Amino acid sequence: MRNRRGYRKLVEADLDIMPLMNLFVVLIPMLLLSAVFVEIHAIEMDLPGDATTAESDRESLDLAIRLEPDRYVVRGSRLRERSVDRRADDADERLMELLTSIRERHPDERTVRIESPDAARYQDLVRVMDVARASGLDAIGLARHPQSSTLSEAR
Amino acid sequence: MRRRMRDRRRKPRYSEGLRITSMMDILTVLLLFLLKSFVAEGEVVTPAPGVELPQSISQDSPEASLVIAIAGDRISIGGETIVALDQTIDGGLGDRLVIDELVAALDQARTQQTDIAVRRGRDDWEGRVTIQGDRDMSFAVLQRVMYTCNQSGFADVALAVLAG
Repeated sequence: MRNRRGYRKLVEADLDIMPLMNLFVVLIPMLLLSAVFVEIHAIEMDLPGDATTAESDRESLDLAIRLEPDRYVVRGSRLRERSVDRRADDADERLMELLTSIRERHPDERTVRIESPDAARYQDLVRVMDVARASGLDAIGLARHPQSSTLSEAR
Repeated sequence: MRRRMRDRRRKPRYSEGLRITSMMDILTVLLLFLLKSFVAEGEVVTPAPGVELPQSISQDSPEASLVIAIAGDRISIGGETIVALDQTIDGGLGDRLVIDELVAALDQARTQQTDIAVRRGRDDWEGRVTIQGDRDMSFAVLQRVMYTCNQSGFADVALAVLAG
């Protein structure tokens, strides 16, 4: 750079980042305060109402997944009853395969009922719901396992 | 002034000013991260204390609604304990599916909500409720709460879950 007198002068080439720093100092606490570190989602449930019972009379599979202590039993009105071992590590994947294969043969079927015993853990229930939803069965109903009326059953 | 000149003469190699470039790097990364996690829309739901929500792959975002929290030892609405639960499978609620205390609380909430809706000039009471349940609770408790909600007219039930 040449000034009026005509000789070169060394110019500091640093950016002035102080205003930026000021902005950061304000923005970061604000964002930290408003940050949501746990992300909560929702699962919408279909509770049996008057409208749904009338509709479900058409030829549906009446698909149900029964939670038993050691296995998932998948059954429907026109299906062979099949079960998946729950204790295996890949139980979720195998249940998923089974449900997906059922869905492929009955693409219109979207409802499933999850029958669980009284003692079933909520987390296990949610996991089965996830598997069902992932395989396309997104209208999920919950029902009590008819044979599990023994409340005294050990947890 | 004179002293500064003298100092400068003594240690001429030291550069002036703070080296804040590295700090700027950190701040920039932090800022981007925070901006990314910034929720600008939708309902921000805070988990009820003492409730460990189950994990799920669901991506649906929660909507504003009445929240029923089911912790290990109590059922509460808005931080107020409605029913105490014990450690048995049905939480000591008994064989009946309807929880009377919850019915009373839900009736009160419904009256309040319809009241607010009327004052706002609307009559579309949606009857939406979100259940924040502990991941270790039993189906028996969940079933009773859901049944009670349905009986009290809160038919639009959502389960709160953690993303993951």
